[in-house]
Amino acid sequence: MLQFARDYLPFYTIGAVVGMGLTLTSMLGSVAIGLVGALGRVSERPAVRTLASGYVAIFRGVPPLVLLYVVYFGLPSWAHDLGIRFLMDLLSPLNNRILAAVVAFALNSGAYSTEIIRASIQSIPPEQTEAARSLGMSYWLTMRRVIIPQSLRVAFAPLGNEFITVLKGTSLASVIGVTELMRDAQLAAAATFQNLVAYSLAAIFYVVMVIILQQMVSMVEKRFSLHHA
Amino acid sequence: MPNESFVRSGREENADRAVLSAPALSTTPSQGAHGAVVELIDVGKVFGATTALSHVNLKVARGETVAIVGPSGSGKTTLLRCINFLVPYDSGRVYVNGQLVGYREERGRLVRDSEHNVNQVRKRIGMVFQRFNLFRHRTVLGNLLEGPLYVLRVPKREALTRAYEVLNMVGLADKVTAYPDQLSGGQQQRVAIARALCMQPEVMLFDEVTSALDPELVGEVLAVMRRLAQQGMTMIVVTHEMSFARDVADRVAFMEGGTIVVDQGAREFFTRPQTPRIESFLRRMSLA
Ligand SMILES: Nc1ncnc2c1ncn2[C@@H]1O[C@H](COP(=O)(O)OP(=O)(O)OP(=O)(O)O)[C@@H](O)[C@H]1O
Ligand SMILES: [Mg+2]
Repeated sequence: MLQFARDYLPFYTIGAVVGMGLTLTSMLGSVAIGLVGALGRVSERPAVRTLASGYVAIFRGVPPLVLLYVVYFGLPSWAHDLGIRFLMDLLSPLNNRILAAVVAFALNSGAYSTEIIRASIQSIPPEQTEAARSLGMSYWLTMRRVIIPQSLRVAFAPLGNEFITVLKGTSLASVIGVTELMRDAQLAAAATFQNLVAYSLAAIFYVVMVIILQQMVSMVEKRFSLHHA
Repeated sequence: MPNESFVRSGREENADRAVLSAPALSTTPSQGAHGAVVELIDVGKVFGATTALSHVNLKVARGETVAIVGPSGSGKTTLLRCINFLVPYDSGRVYVNGQLVGYREERGRLVRDSEHNVNQVRKRIGMVFQRFNLFRHRTVLGNLLEGPLYVLRVPKREALTRAYEVLNMVGLADKVTAYPDQLSGGQQQRVAIARALCMQPEVMLFDEVTSALDPELVGEVLAVMRRLAQQGMTMIVVTHEMSFARDVADRVAFMEGGTIVVDQGAREFFTRPQTPRIESFLRRMSLA
């Protein structure tokens, strides 16, 4: 066990860094989607609301693994078969495993971020909007200057949890050959036949990463909070 | 109804005048010779089955302070909110500085005005709420700069100068970096007044701004409002503070059942109540 750890620690560490990078980029996309989606969910236009709800319903329903397969194996070859130049150019980057993983995770997590940010927007007292409107702020200026900044503070902790969910979910990327932590564990297990040790070490890595993240989230949350007293 | 309220003269020599006078934003020509800053003509508002306002008429001249009093549910808040169109009234007309609020005339009919035009009117009307409604994620200074920088788009230097002037006026210059939840209710309300004043409004609307305060904090807020009135600010003040109405307001409008039933000089209102209803109201407010 110790010998194994000594041999493979650097290897696992690189995998962990890759996993963390995947998570960061996916979360960036997820929050961006979540912001747009949440604004859609609270829009005054029924069509926009329906569109946003539809996105959430679909992408919350599709298992991330299935989505990963669709994005990586499905989309580029579909565009290729259709032979439409524009689609091929648009989707061929998904032949890249890492990019496909990021897109799939962001689309999946984006549905959750949409709901988290929507709930946080709706948690802001309507009096804040009234105060802004009474100053002559438009709908969008009110959103940008008053509602969104406050709701992101409210959403910070649940988005932190979502980050952790995405981090654990990146282990799925191993199935399309992204050499993140889980993939590294598989390779180590295959090379040494020490399955239990190989996968347990990966588990320890995940747990440690999640604990560190949790600490960081609650630290930043305190500084970022709407309560200053 | 006697509408010929007097506009107090002799305010010009007030030392603080530079801070608070100057209707610098008169972009619209004032309509009508009477020069009312706010005028409501036959305004009505219905919420579902409730008639909140009906046939409300009110005229407020520049520099005037009008107190609006009346029992709970009589429509005071609704009236105030119709002036800046936070509540869209559904009959009659509201003019601010001669400009129709919320609607425009098209071939003799009133149609809903654009959001942009409503905002143009709103930025010239200051409103102070019962529960302060300060921006919780911004410091005192941040609250004061938000409107000037992002709505009026004045240069930062100018906005800062004005913010500090106004903060001095409300006595909170030492609190610039505090967040709202680090302040007492009275301090928060003074910041809220300051936030509105930073927009250099033509008129200030106050909706029971001391009702949510501990009794010992009411005085500091009323003092600021009193000073504002003395400096010539046009003010419409919904209040339960009868002594404030008596001492500071030029006129008192008494509301009941969604309309203004009496509108008269403040002194007369308290010394010679016109109806038994007002008499009993004043007695309940323990001041008659
Ligand atoms: N948004 C609303 N929806 C439905 N009814 C409303 C709404 N706002 C006010 N009302 C009703 O309109 C009437 C007038 O209310 P308003 O708040 O203007 O009274 P008020 O004089 O300010 O009372 P208070 O002294 O209690 O503040 C009340 O019957 C109230 O229930
Ligand atoms: Mg009220």
